[in-house]
Amino acid sequence: MPETTDNRSGLVCVGLNYKTTPVEVRERLAFPEAQVPQAVEQVRGLPGFEESVVLSTCNRVELYAAHSLPSGDHGHAALRDYLVKRFELEPEHAEAMVLYNLDADEAARHLFRVVSGLDSMVLGETEIFGQVKAAYKTALASGATARTLNKLFQQAFTVGKKVRNDTMIQRGSTSVGSVAVDLAEKIHDLKECRVMLVGAGEMSRTCAQSLLSRGAKSIIVSNRSHEKAVELAAEMKGTAMKFDEWEQALHEVDVIISSTSAPHFVIKPDQIDQVMRRRRWEPLLLIDIAVPRDVDPAVNEIEGVYLYDIDALQTIADDGRRERERQLAACERIIEEQLEKFGYLKPPGSSQPGLLVS
Amino acid sequence: MLQSSQILTASTLAFACAVVQGVLALKSGVWKQGRMQLMLMGLGFLLQTGFIYLRGQDVGQCPMKTLPDILVFIAWSIVLLYFLVGSAFRLSLLGVFTAPLVSIMQVMAFLGGFEAYPPRGKINALVELHAAVALIAYAAFALACITGVMYLVQERMLKRHQIGGLFYQLPPIQGLAQAIQRLVRLGLLLLSISLGVSFALETSVSNPKLVFSWVVWGLYAVISVLMWRHFTSPRRTAWLAVIGFILPFISLWIVTHA
Repeated sequence: MPETTDNRSGLVCVGLNYKTTPVEVRERLAFPEAQVPQAVEQVRGLPGFEESVVLSTCNRVELYAAHSLPSGDHGHAALRDYLVKRFELEPEHAEAMVLYNLDADEAARHLFRVVSGLDSMVLGETEIFGQVKAAYKTALASGATARTLNKLFQQAFTVGKKVRNDTMIQRGSTSVGSVAVDLAEKIHDLKECRVMLVGAGEMSRTCAQSLLSRGAKSIIVSNRSHEKAVELAAEMKGTAMKFDEWEQALHEVDVIISSTSAPHFVIKPDQIDQVMRRRRWEPLLLIDIAVPRDVDPAVNEIEGVYLYDIDALQTIADDGRRERERQLAACERIIEEQLEKFGYLKPPGSSQPGLLVS
Repeated sequence: MLQSSQILTASTLAFACAVVQGVLALKSGVWKQGRMQLMLMGLGFLLQTGFIYLRGQDVGQCPMKTLPDILVFIAWSIVLLYFLVGSAFRLSLLGVFTAPLVSIMQVMAFLGGFEAYPPRGKINALVELHAAVALIAYAAFALACITGVMYLVQERMLKRHQIGGLFYQLPPIQGLAQAIQRLVRLGLLLLSISLGVSFALETSVSNPKLVFSWVVWGLYAVISVLMWRHFTSPRRTAWLAVIGFILPFISLWIVTHA
């Protein structure tokens, strides 16, 4: 049976994120990774505070703490003052700082949503799970956590996994880069995948980086400006190729990302037909990000060739985002169930907003 | 004491449940290659094995003489290979595609009815080996056919930009193409062994059963060479694996009625 604790072991969360605070302010309030252990100690050392975890990412700064102050408001005020002093904010900046102040079940609900990726800029993204885990490990290693936060964070990780397993919140791609990765993964074994960039536009660079970060084997960069190709190839640990030579290497690659500024098609059916014969029908993914398009759409008619232009990629990404939004209600339902299961919700008829600890 | 037909009914129901579970899981979008599917397939397989054992006891030999018995034996071999191949090739969803075929084959076996065998003399182990290995080879061709269907579905979605649902659950087309090749080669190897054994039997070379087996062997040998030498695209070879299975399937009727 859950038992009610009093506010002396109160759980609070004070924070700001990309929804409440512009990046110019967030970057001022971000804790550098190396300073997080010290921050954790400082928060725990505040009068009346017993435990703390500091979560600082590019999209959010959040302080989770357990305290024995007379009320949650005292806890919020103390954490707010800590941030003002820690970052030496001018009074006008301190006043303009918009923080969310959460207690007990609200704080737990917020953490569960954060870990599940529901509070992220890209709904359902998974990186935040690792970031919260790292923040908790840092606090744990510093000895800044005890019963309340250890339980809360372990439960949050369980909830995060459950939300991802039981819903489709992480299904589908929500950006052009991730669509490119998903497509490549459904055609080839990504670890054996060789990528060629024809033209070095920003979006093609993003796609290539997404593929490389997921394990693509190698990359060839070809650009009208050879210097830029060399620079980009060095950045991606790939090979640069002169722009008049890229056609000769087409049969050696599995994914071609094209983004030249040519006013006409630079990749044509005859050319790809030859390439496919040389490839012995090994499948080829063509991602055409250029506008006007670089690849003749008739190329998609060739067996084993899969052509996606920018509109097709964007449509898939939009569908992915919509699909994730449709999953929100199911995710929130799981979180509420888990809050109840772990005893964070107020018992029916109770007027005390106390934290329930099972 | 359960009768063999009751055991086969239970097995068919287990596979039908695997179909329903797979379809519902795919429809809800929360597909897990997990326990329920494997448990249902495993249960179906155990019951199939029980049926074949009891049927063997009833007829006093390996039950592979009538068409219904052959269908059940091939269905059993398909599930056996599914357990071996599905995990080896990491072919998620292979069970969902396999269970319907197995269910249909067992329903067809029921419709055919299980007759008593005429009494026979001494059992020739080579004949039994020849028949059993040939049927397992057919099961490999059946799995190649199922994998071919998976390839064609995934390929179509990629071509038509239909990204979502089933797309995320199916394996990469390159992996599917490799799996088809391996299954065709496995089937061909097993059929070659079976036909090799037939040379040691006192069977006329003009026996229709053997002739048809050689025709099937020839067909898959051609398909295998086409795949091996990359003479056709993977899409065409997937079609060959799908359509090719029609011949061994039809040949079952001819073989059992010859």
